Amino acid sequence: MTISISGLSVSRSGRTLLHPTTVNIEPGERVGLVGASGSGKSTLGHALVDALRRQGHSVAHVPQSPDEALDPLRSMGFHWAEAESALDLAPDVARQKALFEALRIDGGDLRKRPWGWSRGMQQRFVIAMGLIGTPDLLVMDEPTSALDPVVAARSMDLLDRYLADRQTALLLITHDLGLAARRMSRLMVMHEGRIVEDAPTAALLAAPGTAAAKALCLHRNWLALPC
Amino acid sequence: MLSVENIAVRYRGVTVLQDISLTLAAGRTLAVVGESGAGKSTLIGTILGLVRCSAGQVTWNKAPVRRCRPALVMQEPRSAFNPRVSLRRSVTEPLIAERRPVDENQMAALCRSLDIPTDLLERRPSAVSIGQAQRIGILRALIAAPPLVLFDEPLSALDAVTQKHTARMIADLQAKEGFAALIVTHDLGYAAAYADHIAVLRAGRIEELTTAQAFIDAPQTAYGRELRDAAFALGALERVA
Amino acid sequence: MIQLFLSLVLRAVVVLTGTALATFSLLWHAPGDPALAIALARFNAVVSTEVVDQIRVEAGLDAGFWTAFKAWILPLLSGDFGSSSVTGRAVWPDLVTAMSYTAPLALSGLLIGVAVSVPLAILAARRPGGWLDRSAVAVASLGAAIPTYWLGLLLILLFAVQLGWLPAMGARTPVHIILPALTLGLGVAASLTRILRSGILEARGQPFLPAIRRRGVASRAIERAHVAPHAAIPVVTVFGLELAFLLEGAVIIEVIFARPGLGTFLVTAIETRDFPKVQAVVILAALLFVTVNLVIDLIYRALDPRIGSHDA
Repeated sequence: MTISISGLSVSRSGRTLLHPTTVNIEPGERVGLVGASGSGKSTLGHALVDALRRQGHSVAHVPQSPDEALDPLRSMGFHWAEAESALDLAPDVARQKALFEALRIDGGDLRKRPWGWSRGMQQRFVIAMGLIGTPDLLVMDEPTSALDPVVAARSMDLLDRYLADRQTALLLITHDLGLAARRMSRLMVMHEGRIVEDAPTAALLAAPGTAAAKALCLHRNWLALPC
Repeated sequence: MLSVENIAVRYRGVTVLQDISLTLAAGRTLAVVGESGAGKSTLIGTILGLVRCSAGQVTWNKAPVRRCRPALVMQEPRSAFNPRVSLRRSVTEPLIAERRPVDENQMAALCRSLDIPTDLLERRPSAVSIGQAQRIGILRALIAAPPLVLFDEPLSALDAVTQKHTARMIADLQAKEGFAALIVTHDLGYAAAYADHIAVLRAGRIEELTTAQAFIDAPQTAYGRELRDAAFALGALERVA
Repeated sequence: MIQLFLSLVLRAVVVLTGTALATFSLLWHAPGDPALAIALARFNAVVSTEVVDQIRVEAGLDAGFWTAFKAWILPLLSGDFGSSSVTGRAVWPDLVTAMSYTAPLALSGLLIGVAVSVPLAILAARRPGGWLDRSAVAVASLGAAIPTYWLGLLLILLFAVQLGWLPAMGARTPVHIILPALTLGLGVAASLTRILRSGILEARGQPFLPAIRRRGVASRAIERAHVAPHAAIPVVTVFGLELAFLLEGAVIIEVIFARPGLGTFLVTAIETRDFPKVQAVVILAALLFVTVNLVIDLIYRALDPRIGSHDA
């Protein structure tokens, strides 16, 4: 289902964190939401998920760190069952097996609590939980910054492979244009609570229009290497 | 020259570091990369003289390394400062420790290089941005002009643009002051762009130690290749036609 | 696991031996002649030096400290609490009688404490900083600041003297337990409410809760499945301290309300320097403590296995 929302805004104690914003995302699209820290990326991500859920969309949000997604006192199995029942779904072993295999966490012991799993596996478990209800949109907030690069890259690759022929769209929130440009087909640039630019990746990299986008493009890579 | 000779660290029967040998000359930069738990922080601890080695020794110009008073830049810039005193007070601590007076000219020059407005130093740590706090952390590390500076994930709390600005400032200061820099980082892009050598630390051992260029071109170990490929997959390194 | 259990048991043995030795030595070295105190208690009259000396030999007080200690502790290892130096009666049956009065008092005090504090803490934590919360905190702080004996006297004045609703003294009927249990329970409630309230508030601030909410889990289910266990941890932690409060409170309250029980038993025994009786109470209390703390430790580890996962 196409995602279309307008007039999304957030203010807290008199300060506007997110100015009225419109977001349209096609099924299966890969969108990067890029901006400096404090530009309102995460605020938009949270507001978007909450608003879409109210509209009746199925959406999932994967926070930056597994610590922000899993209760350390509860087993992985408990989290999974809780997520299923929150979606009004009956437990389905086949669905779980398919997701676990796709994200390579089928070796994990569900009786253990989160800290009994490696951080990478915890994150992939959280991603798998998000995919239970085959959501229209999966929002990932800085999925790479709390993990080792090798582990983070593996999670992203496995997720890409799983989503390849599916309708679930992906919104990747990151401060790192290098990451978003490498993996997303469309980019939205955020600056001071507004989306200031929204274009296909190649077009944005070729001709950034705003100062914020120009700064991001200028500092996109550490090194550009000839291949 | 920093010289780490065959050091090992064992703690409660667990080997944290084993057979670590490396050298780092003045003005040079060594990046240590590897996964969390590989022993990167312990290595920093041994070089600072905070962690006792079970074997081997760490020296600067043949003298025990502590004597050269190496400085440290930490990952979380704000928690690196005493929250109750002004930043100026925290910054001058290394001088107070050595009973040296503050050279205001040198301080002003460093502040200019690091783009720190001097009035920022009168504030408390909570009243500056993370990027500013990290630059002030670098100022504190350099105030006593140490010959060796250790950086423990100096950029990972910052956003991508600030990271690149800060890395540039560190490199410019290094060219001016001539300190040796040992940088622990998980960002191979940063290491490739700024380090002379890259050491891959894994499970307490150095798996690979070579020039940055050679490592990016052709890592010699399977894990080294994984690291490099991950950096490409995450856009930290980019191939252009 | 077995190693853990053994280390906990070893800790218990050390605590018990230490307690036994410490109290015995305190009694032994306290100023005044124990033999004289026993003689006075036994005959309730001025006695001759010969009688006192005879009692000294009888009670084993003429031997050295270690001989006396051994003479007391060795039979104890086979379950023999000895007999009273004053009356000569066996200690154990009297101790059981005393406990049969104290245990219901402590238990009902605990029940009242839990029954008052749990709903109060939940109500207070519903809107932190609201008037309900602030008054609950104020009352709880006041309750924790008031000494038990004073609260007991206030309750006696109000319910027994002014209103005449409840009996104050003795333990003849089951109704007699109400006032002392209330005194004890309100003290427990005061400290439990504060701990539980802050536990709930802290649990509500756990970083993973927003994500769980965003997964669509109903807030009622979140409170039950995630907030409650986290809020319970500090309560379990202080439960050992609560037990100390219960015992200490029960002893004082029994004296105020003139109830038979461990408190009266202990106070009389101390006054008459009745070594075996005092030691019996102390050992019993220490045993109770050690057991409860052992159980708490195990519950704690079941609740949050991160605890203790490092000392393996």
